[in-house]
Amino acid sequence: MERRAVIAQPMTETGADDALINAARAGDRSAFGLLYNRYARMVHGILLCRVPPREVDDLVQEVFLLALRKLDSLRDISRFGAWLSAITRNRANDYYRDSSRVELPMEPEEEEKVQSRSNDHAAEQEAAMTLAVLRTLPETYREPLMLRLVEGLTGPEIAGRMGLTHGSVRVNLHRGMQMLREKLAEKAAPGTEQSARANRASGQNE
Amino acid sequence: MSEKDRVMKDDYLWDGSGEPDPDVRKLENLMGRYRHNQPAPAFDQVVVKKSVRRPWDLSFSRHSFQLAAAAAVVLIGVATFIIIRVEHTNNSGPAWEIARIEGAPRVGWHSLSSGKETAHLKVGQTLVTDSSSRASITLDETGTIEVDPASRLRVVASGRDRKRLSLERGTIHATIWAPPGEFVVDTPSAVAVDLGCVYTLHVDDSGAGVLRTTMGWVGFKLNGHESFIPAGAVCATRPRIGPGTPYFEDASTSFRDALSKFDFAKITPQERNALLGILLVDARPQDALTLWHLLSRVSDADRPGVYDRLAALAPPPKEVTREGILRLDQKMLDSWWNSLGYGDVYLWHMYERTWSEK
Repeated sequence: MERRAVIAQPMTETGADDALINAARAGDRSAFGLLYNRYARMVHGILLCRVPPREVDDLVQEVFLLALRKLDSLRDISRFGAWLSAITRNRANDYYRDSSRVELPMEPEEEEKVQSRSNDHAAEQEAAMTLAVLRTLPETYREPLMLRLVEGLTGPEIAGRMGLTHGSVRVNLHRGMQMLREKLAEKAAPGTEQSARANRASGQNE
Repeated sequence: MSEKDRVMKDDYLWDGSGEPDPDVRKLENLMGRYRHNQPAPAFDQVVVKKSVRRPWDLSFSRHSFQLAAAAAVVLIGVATFIIIRVEHTNNSGPAWEIARIEGAPRVGWHSLSSGKETAHLKVGQTLVTDSSSRASITLDETGTIEVDPASRLRVVASGRDRKRLSLERGTIHATIWAPPGEFVVDTPSAVAVDLGCVYTLHVDDSGAGVLRTTMGWVGFKLNGHESFIPAGAVCATRPRIGPGTPYFEDASTSFRDALSKFDFAKITPQERNALLGILLVDARPQDALTLWHLLSRVSDADRPGVYDRLAALAPPPKEVTREGILRLDQKMLDSWWNSLGYGDVYLWHMYERTWSEK
């Protein structure tokens, strides 16, 4: 495990965030918009780990509105990312507060209607199955892997946004990817269509 | 090849540099369809509902001096009333809405026997369930809590950013969506501070408790003795002792048994050494959670052994030194904790301090 790579968030990035947060606190909404542009993928990825994909876009907006309202309660602005991550996870909990909200497994056709951004039916199914498998990974591995594979953030960007060390993100990406490979290999075994669907359901129901 | 070497070969996974890993590349292409692609909302048109200090209306100056003086007297009276009410009656804030799930849960003399009946739980009131009743309480801004049979749950405080309950006996299942640190549950043997999570808390008749976290993490504290419990982990607590050492439920039986005795049994120093030996030998990489907590719970003589084992399972960040950990340097302990990836300990320090100030 490489620990030499552990460095603080680059000063330029941190400094830029601090300036934006201070400006947003002073009422500059365009500064808050820039914070949205920087952190929306992180929030989106954390939510995608926990709630059905069709709900995520709306919840991203809600998280940022909540953050805007609570911004004055953030004592240490250098921890904005960690603070926003915690708010995001809580908002995901909020989604499940209504116990009557039972997520039924979606049929592939429905998934396609809701989630499709391409016309490739087989790829859509494979993506939905992969997402469900990814969501079964332990929380520690799920989030960095979602941010890397889905949101396209690099490891250093994930560490910087979430206020984590490079070392822990790198190790968690590595171990998570290893676990994901194993689980996908199990799913790829012949005659597993039924189990893939079951897994998809469990992923949606977490 | 060691794990360190394998991790370092993952350059493409880490930052997109180096030779592309075909599996990672394929997954990026496949999963990119879920990527965030919504533009920023028009934040400049958002009305933020929060208390805003408004400048005095200038039309005020047109009123007579006498009217202003009278208004000032009224304002002072109202302010005094509010301060006295908040400080002395401590009975302000929103009430939790109670819903009966089964049986006849009660608040004071009032029983809820019908499913349609609703009631409210205010500061100072206690919800009691007997052996055949269950209920849930919900506060829109905070979360929802299911209360199992044979429980007593009291509302201690219900301020705008502070919600505090006391579980005197029984079991609750809490799903909290308030910002981290705003929701706290007292038990006879520890205080549980929500840090963004779903958890179950049980307190038996002796006041001993167990907390299981399902999502997020919880801080557990008594008299400066604190434990952090991430998703999948459990922590027991005992009156007068406080929280034990948290552990993951899938740890080996010998590990869990040894930890329970280590934390709470009356044992000789030799027995304690033997138990610590079992913990160090049986620990898996994920049991770094437990070993990190043990660093500050073992004697100075035992700490090097715990350090060495933890460093082997989860090497510390560069800024953390052996010497620093052996003298329990708080910054280094925090830094090592953060590197384990269970949550940012800054949140705990921030909210723990806030609660301690209250």
